[in-house]
Amino acid sequence: MVAMSDWVELNIGPHHPSTHGVLRLKARVEGEMVREVEPVIGYLHRNAEKLCENTFFCDNIIYFDRMDYVGAPGMEVGYLEAAEKLLGVFPPERAVWIRTIMAELSRIASHLIWLAAFGLELGMLTPFFYCFDLRESILTIFVEASGSRLLTNYCSIGGVYQDFNEKITDEVEKFVQDAPKKVEEINSLFIKNDIFISRNKGIGVLDKNVAIEYGVTGHMLRASGVEYDVRKAEPYLAYSKVNFEIPTSTKGDNLARYLVRIEEIRQSIKIISQSIKKLPEGPFFNPKAKKSMMIRLRGDGEVYARTESSKGEFGVYIVGDGGVKPYRVRVRSPSLRNLSVMRELGRNVMIADLVSILGTTDLVFGEIDR
Amino acid sequence: MMEFQPGEERGKDGRRIIKVRKEDLVSTLSKLKSEGYIHLSLITGVDRKDFIEVVYHLHSFERNEYISVKTVTYNSEVPSVTSLWKSADWEEREEYDLVGIRFIGHPNLKRLFLPENWVGHPLRKDYDLKNVQYINVDEEGEDYATFDPGDGW
Repeated sequence: MVAMSDWVELNIGPHHPSTHGVLRLKARVEGEMVREVEPVIGYLHRNAEKLCENTFFCDNIIYFDRMDYVGAPGMEVGYLEAAEKLLGVFPPERAVWIRTIMAELSRIASHLIWLAAFGLELGMLTPFFYCFDLRESILTIFVEASGSRLLTNYCSIGGVYQDFNEKITDEVEKFVQDAPKKVEEINSLFIKNDIFISRNKGIGVLDKNVAIEYGVTGHMLRASGVEYDVRKAEPYLAYSKVNFEIPTSTKGDNLARYLVRIEEIRQSIKIISQSIKKLPEGPFFNPKAKKSMMIRLRGDGEVYARTESSKGEFGVYIVGDGGVKPYRVRVRSPSLRNLSVMRELGRNVMIADLVSILGTTDLVFGEIDR
Repeated sequence: MMEFQPGEERGKDGRRIIKVRKEDLVSTLSKLKSEGYIHLSLITGVDRKDFIEVVYHLHSFERNEYISVKTVTYNSEVPSVTSLWKSADWEEREEYDLVGIRFIGHPNLKRLFLPENWVGHPLRKDYDLKNVQYINVDEEGEDYATFDPGDGW
């Protein structure tokens, strides 16, 4: 039995590269074993919720871009699901399908950057280049559609910023054809590596009940055996019209979370390939929300809309008071809940395992600190 | 000012909204939890100037539906639900930090994002945006804020 005084308090972060930005972990270590972990957050806090209260409904989209900056269109969709219900302005059919494609592309882009960083954390440099190569083809589509690589600001109230032209649809089709082979290639780099398996199998097991207690969602919850995906539970956009499956696992360890995510990439490619075939003709924005009218849109009442972002259940709660600006905006950040469970997962593990567990949780600090 | 009436109503998107007095909050939520609403999605505090509205969004995996529970407080105090959900720990700390709701019975009610000596709660409607506060780091590595009343932005 070691007395409390023999513990060493070790600060991991806030500038350690493996902490995905600006997370600080106060770890109490005893030799190589981590006994307790307390995450300290807030280094990237900008209070986007307050900023939203002082801006027009249509301008708030940019703050959501800056939340999950590796998959920005997915965040825009999350905000617009709530804002459009509140304002009563809905996008036409073509815009819905375009948004579905963009949301799924952003999911793949986000998963790939996670995969690249996760490889680096475990000391694998090669997958990094493969992931960024595939991600580049998605960013090319983003640039073509919105003019920007990361913070797209593509979706707008009542539609999208500009139509999918032939060049974009061609590039999406090309991506759908090329991607499955590349994903398998990347997967084989991980899964055929003995060190990768031994460092992840049976490490960081998250119990189903603990996950629910902590409000964990997304791949972490699905890897622990709960089949919960907002795209199926409460279909939004065009998800009820496409075929896809929700990957789950009952193991709950790092490897299960990895496998769930790889399967999610495959399913997303499946959704994109169906969506691009079903993409209907027609207008791409609602004339009610044309540019001159946009700042005059007024919202009253309250709406809570949930979407499945790349990290988990992303909820946006907007309260309106009949004005042109929201009265209160509240964001449910999935990464924040996934991080809070680190207090359970980080108990009695090796320091090296802590890094790999942190890797599989996939944190983006723009979204946690907001 | 409208008087708060406990009861049940339907929201804009058709979901159930249960309104309770804050004395009955914990018992209502624990009853709902035993009925299958085991996923606490979100806790929100809305500053309505005269009072603060606290909204709880719950989800049931079995029934596949979500409901909201609403309560109001006139003195910024609400009973804590950390005994029911562990995720309420950080959610309540966040709402304490930004809206200034004191959750009675919370084991560790500290600010989540801002330094402990930050003046005011930013999401309150009467929060003065003109005051400038800088965040510094002391020798121990802990953050602290310095307050500078002035023109600001």
